[in-house]
Amino acid sequence: MRSSRRAFLEGALSGSALLTLSGAPLRQLAFAASPGAQNRILIVLHLRGACDGLNLVCPANDLNLITARPIELRVAESGDKAGHPLPAAATPHIDWRLHPAAPELAELYKSNALAFVHAAGIPEANRSHFVATDIMDRGAANSAALARIGDGWLGRHLAQSKLSGGGLQAVSASGSLAGEFAGFGSAFSVPDLNNGLPLPWDEKMAGAIEGLYRQAPGSAGAAGIRALEAAKLIAARLPRGAGGKFAPYFDQKERYDKAGDIGRGLRTVARLIKADIGLNAASVDAGGWDTHEGQQGRFHNNVQRLSGALGAFWNDISAYQARVTIVAYGEFGRRLRANKSGGTDHGRGGVMIAMGAGVAGGHILGPWPGLAEAALDERVDLAVKTDYRQVLSELLTFHGGEPLSANVFPGYKAPAHLGILA
Amino acid sequence: MDVLDFPLSRLCYAAHSEDAIEAERAGLPAWLDRQLDARNASSPDLEGRLRSFRLQIKYAAGNGQPTPNGDTKNWPAVDEMRPFRYLEAPIDSAWALLDPKVARPNEEQSRPYQEVACATIIRAVHSRAQVFERMAGFWHDHFNVLATDDRRIGCALPMYDRDAIRAHALGNFRDMLEAVAASPAMLIYLSNASSRAGGDNENYARELLELHTLGRDAYLNDRYDRWRDVPGAAEGKPAGYIDEDVYEAARAFTGWTIENGQRLDGATELPRTGRFIYIDSWHDGYQKRILATEFAPFAPPMADGRKVLDLAAFHPATARFLCLKLCRCFVSDNPPQSLVESAAKVWLESARKPHQIAAVVKHIALSKEFAASRGSKPRSPLALAASFSRVTGIDLSPTWPLVQQLAQCGQRLFGWPSPDGRPTSAGYYVTPEYLRERWVLVARLAGNAWATGQPKAVQIHASGDAPRVGDAVERWLPRFAGPGAAAAPFFAALGMDPAQPLSDEKKLAQIAGLCAAAPQFQMT
Repeated sequence: MRSSRRAFLEGALSGSALLTLSGAPLRQLAFAASPGAQNRILIVLHLRGACDGLNLVCPANDLNLITARPIELRVAESGDKAGHPLPAAATPHIDWRLHPAAPELAELYKSNALAFVHAAGIPEANRSHFVATDIMDRGAANSAALARIGDGWLGRHLAQSKLSGGGLQAVSASGSLAGEFAGFGSAFSVPDLNNGLPLPWDEKMAGAIEGLYRQAPGSAGAAGIRALEAAKLIAARLPRGAGGKFAPYFDQKERYDKAGDIGRGLRTVARLIKADIGLNAASVDAGGWDTHEGQQGRFHNNVQRLSGALGAFWNDISAYQARVTIVAYGEFGRRLRANKSGGTDHGRGGVMIAMGAGVAGGHILGPWPGLAEAALDERVDLAVKTDYRQVLSELLTFHGGEPLSANVFPGYKAPAHLGILA
Repeated sequence: MDVLDFPLSRLCYAAHSEDAIEAERAGLPAWLDRQLDARNASSPDLEGRLRSFRLQIKYAAGNGQPTPNGDTKNWPAVDEMRPFRYLEAPIDSAWALLDPKVARPNEEQSRPYQEVACATIIRAVHSRAQVFERMAGFWHDHFNVLATDDRRIGCALPMYDRDAIRAHALGNFRDMLEAVAASPAMLIYLSNASSRAGGDNENYARELLELHTLGRDAYLNDRYDRWRDVPGAAEGKPAGYIDEDVYEAARAFTGWTIENGQRLDGATELPRTGRFIYIDSWHDGYQKRILATEFAPFAPPMADGRKVLDLAAFHPATARFLCLKLCRCFVSDNPPQSLVESAAKVWLESARKPHQIAAVVKHIALSKEFAASRGSKPRSPLALAASFSRVTGIDLSPTWPLVQQLAQCGQRLFGWPSPDGRPTSAGYYVTPEYLRERWVLVARLAGNAWATGQPKAVQIHASGDAPRVGDAVERWLPRFAGPGAAAAPFFAALGMDPAQPLSDEKKLAQIAGLCAAAPQFQMT
């Protein structure tokens, strides 16, 4: 299966190059130099606040949807705001439409680099942002399991895989450390690299502080030592321009800049990848999806940023595409029925996005339950038909090799393959 | 008692030397009584500082471009040091900045938020009512709103800080809950302002139960709409809440909104003042059942919402959840269950008293569990800046780069992005990334890099002799790194001879900033 995908991609690449809207080649896979698994990189993108999967990957001709929501919270099939068609072999009767603000994602889907998994989420019905986020961060089945599972799924995976480690192996590129890294000692957070990771001292002063932290007990001591090490590593690896200052980073600048926080986060990840510091996993936040009110405009902006940032990133790391896999998801989907604030409330099934190395793109995966009343969860929400752990565990077998350690998702046994891997 | 030492360090942003003396002489209980009396929240000194403070405002002249609402961007360039305008003003004056018909620069529209951010720092550093200020901070985290990214919330922030948070910070929780529920800032943040009958949105109702009152442990998500299955429901005392309670509570708050130019019917348009208003025609008046309690149809104005606030505020799960959060803030990231329970008892006993919150804080601060918790909590970045300034004699006056550096350290004032509010845990603050930014914070304060105030020479070097490196290190290292910190390896690493003279005051301050990077000073 893997070889057939490779043949397909090579075929595609040998023909006319796939172009993005900006005209730059979107995919420049270098299979000749295909690296070993120890250098693979998994990026987790959090659609925080719970992204409305039905407005992103929309069954546009579904009458249940049409009667439950105004057109502003759906994707149109025709007209100047029509969505990008997403042909999906498994559900030929549905006119799947990707939100019109996502041309880059549409292009990636068309070129088989990106897949969606619809009606995905946590197995238990839980409409709390914070509990659902904890469940997903820790790779748990439900809230009851949170008492037993205190650390993050990706940290557990890294700790047990044969991935290379060393350097900055796991990085959160948005503010504080992401929950899926909790408990993993080597994880680090790097909000941006415009000035590197500067210390306010000369080397001798840093040495004096290092002495204090080496003697300090507990987590503060270890955190300080890692802060000093990371500062050194970045100072040594980040390219410098004239005068010894870090060279400003111009790659894909305009497109990253337009994409807000997610653009900033993905740019940081791209710089870390290029600095070759042992990165195996990263997480980036894309917030603002909790659209209880005025969803149309906010959702449009969010999708535009998400799509633009992913397009920019994919071009930016063109030489590394064979190593980099991205998965994006929110904590749940949103309610089928719109409210009168022009928004949607907390729901159940959402959409997950997987793209890049290892992914069999060009598909909408997972069983689709439909939106008929009997198929809804509690008569109001798109049901969850694919456990989020199935998507993640399949991607992890590509990332770290098989078999996946049983304690990454404790107590979970994946059913038959989704087919997300090429 | 040193102002940097536990327990004052835990209860204050930065204790004053007078506080240390008073707590030592009169004892912690007596000192606390004065601190917990909200009448002491202000003082002539503090008022004077707030009055004389100036924050720069600077922008270029408008470019003359038309705006979508028919105005043009015509304004003169401004670069001035401007006093606070909005802290004490009714919301109307800040809200006027948002008039869609008048083009205004961003710098003017974000001013109300910037004023509250600066006032927060001034009060944290200079107020003698330190426990009051810490509690104001606690409540801002608990009733989080995101003011940095939404101008409407920024313009509502002075009123929110003043009338909802500070007015009740040591008072009664039920009173505070209603002040928050009816505050323009929260009505916008959790979108209740647009919620109306027949398609209400559940944003506020859900977070009211999950984050503001009963807490996530009381969310019985597996029961969804089977309210009779909730333990205690038959007696009208349900142990927790279910999704159906969220949906029904959302109906109860329909009509709680703000005056913001809404068209009520063909002819009537509300004024744009930002003030709270209850619109009965938006309210879903039919009968409801919330927390196993029947609500009769067509109750008087706001009665449905108030009844929900009563049920939530006086619920035992709320007592446990709020006391857990208070203990996490003041005692430890994983506080002893015994203390949470005894505090919850005080909470419930004083639930209808005007000084409920003060009574609970006092109970926690005087507990044996608190006394045994030395070293278990991180200093927040604001507390770090305040206490560093206090002992190095910096008469700290905030500038915008300081606000930005606090954000770099993980404390973006009024800028936490989700309604759960910022954690106070070591797991959040004492990370490699934030530690490095904390080192930058104290180093820049020591060097007065942001014009926040010069360290005082007398604090840095008390004796009249020519100062030496050794004096500075021996003065600061034990204070910031604890009495056990060995100076010799520190000198060795610095490559300096302790006897080396240091005529430069800046170098002395730099050594204070360096010593304040010690791991011990990050915790309290």
